[in-house]
Amino acid sequence: MSALLERLAPAAELPRDGFTELRSQAQKVLMQHGFPHRKTENWKYTPLTLIEQRAFAGSLDVGTPPAPPALPFDCAVVHMHNGEIDPSATRLPRGASLTGLVADDVDVDALVADGPNDAFAWLNLARLGQGWKLVVDEAVKRPIVVVSTVDADFEGAVHPRLHVELAPDSALTLVAVQTGGGAGLHNAVLDIRMSERSTLLHAIDRSGGDTAWIEHATVRVAAGADYRAFISDAGGALTRQDLRVSLDAPNARGAIHGVATLEGRALVDYHTAIEHHVGPSESKERFRILADDRATGVFNGRILIVPGADDSHSEMNTGNLLLSENARINTKPELEIHAEEVTASHGATIGQLDDDARFYLRSRGLSEREATALLKYGFAAAVFDDLEPGPLADWLLERLKSRA
Amino acid sequence: MLKIENLHVEVDGKEILKGLDLEIGAGEMHAIMGPNGSGKSTLGYTLAGRDGYEITEGRILFEGQDLAALAPEERAAAGLFLALQYPVEIPGVNNAYFLRAALNAQRKARGEEEVDSMAFLKAVREQLKALKMDEALLKRAVNEGFSGGEKKRNEIVQMAVLQPKLAVLDETDSGLDIDALKLVAEGVNRLRDEQRSFVVITHYQRLLGYLEPDHVHVLSDGRIVESGDRSLAERLEREGYAFLDDEPAEAAGA
Repeated sequence: MSALLERLAPAAELPRDGFTELRSQAQKVLMQHGFPHRKTENWKYTPLTLIEQRAFAGSLDVGTPPAPPALPFDCAVVHMHNGEIDPSATRLPRGASLTGLVADDVDVDALVADGPNDAFAWLNLARLGQGWKLVVDEAVKRPIVVVSTVDADFEGAVHPRLHVELAPDSALTLVAVQTGGGAGLHNAVLDIRMSERSTLLHAIDRSGGDTAWIEHATVRVAAGADYRAFISDAGGALTRQDLRVSLDAPNARGAIHGVATLEGRALVDYHTAIEHHVGPSESKERFRILADDRATGVFNGRILIVPGADDSHSEMNTGNLLLSENARINTKPELEIHAEEVTASHGATIGQLDDDARFYLRSRGLSEREATALLKYGFAAAVFDDLEPGPLADWLLERLKSRA
Repeated sequence: MLKIENLHVEVDGKEILKGLDLEIGAGEMHAIMGPNGSGKSTLGYTLAGRDGYEITEGRILFEGQDLAALAPEERAAAGLFLALQYPVEIPGVNNAYFLRAALNAQRKARGEEEVDSMAFLKAVREQLKALKMDEALLKRAVNEGFSGGEKKRNEIVQMAVLQPKLAVLDETDSGLDIDALKLVAEGVNRLRDEQRSFVVITHYQRLLGYLEPDHVHVLSDGRIVESGDRSLAERLEREGYAFLDDEPAEAAGA
């Protein structure tokens, strides 16, 4: 087996506990499929060289985590530091609870073992230590913010796992604020189950820093339930997001609105999938990448409409801005439509900043720098058009403005 | 206010303006007419400082200052405004936000205080109302989804808010119906005073009928070939530009 496998998933067992069985099952899958390599289609733009070069040495000094960043809207904060949550520091609103994950919460049979594509999700399970379950029983008004941070000198590999369960007719705004630090690996799994008629607004604001930041998210959407993601990602040394939204029952809705603003040598790789398993169902996806300097942005948006999922409707649009000669963007809509009574539209553009627009802004008094920033911001902010105005939208847009 | 001397301008290596002279005093309105391809829009872009419009000879003095040394935003802060023939759509950038950012950038460059946001909104609303534009446009992206007429009127709103010393209107009348044309003309006329000057580039007499410019010039093949009062515009309307070929051009700038 590869050196990477030996380093990240050594045969040596973690201390025996309720997860031991699961871990060894996952380890087997991982050993069988191995990590992605250059010929793994889903990973071809994101070489693992960086991860291969890292030692992931040493144990983590948990210590006292630093205070999480303050947020300018009323919310309940769950702080995950170096992959661990301190439950005593967590106050959740009524109708929501956070408990430790138990082995029964993980349905191994439902996990996809698709060659090396999902290796990191299996790795997460193979090295599972702490896992958490957020259960939402009713319509919770206050947003719950999961702040994930790592130390600036963090060099280890952590594999946090969070399951979110929404009861029928419940509602939640879940905000993930993720800030990387040192040259380690933060390999998270997020597993969301939405019951009938529940609604989830899922916002992600991320900057990976030097940390290899990998997250594998699955969302299962039941009848009449509504999932919407709003994502702003500044990338990092290596940032990879898999987001699979499975519309499992009639009238399920799913939407992904995302923007990556990249500079320096940042790398972001988004692989999203929206699967229509029945109709009627509806999905929408808008994704934008702005890549400056020597940054690399990857977007692969898969839309699947299975046979018989008639009356499914999907709409995907991706836009990309190349801001420097050395930046790279790879964008690919991937439509697999196996039903007939459906609509599925897609569009993808790659362009540069418009000189006419820049001149127009400058002729009104904005400096070249201000004009460029405003154009970038305008291009990026358009993905949040569907987000209701309010403190959360204001905050996301402010964050975006600071990155434009 | 503005003095253009023997101006030669190249675009993509091709000479478009070939020795243009023009002097505009404070408070004056000058109309520039001329056939397609005569260099009218090039003059507008050159004044505003667009990249790619290279001055190869001559100079432009704005209040005694050589414009060639100034970036577009510096020209704006100095009091120059160009209403574009084709106003640009800026998706995702809110109209009100953009206009306030522009005004504040200009004020900052001039060492003035930022504008009070309530006073700003009030001023913009008044302008919108005067130009019969929906207030909802303020919240929309700049020019995005605007009709042709709305885009042109939006230029006038911007001009009224930014209060330039010299406004260059590049075919602001093109594509306007008669009602919109009147609104635009009234908007321009409201801004006229003894200090503010205008250059109105147009194909048609119609707008000039409402604006009553002090001087009318004919631009042909990169030079002013004829200057006169308003009656010149009327003659052009009647006879077209054909008569220009029959008369010897003035030895402009010689």
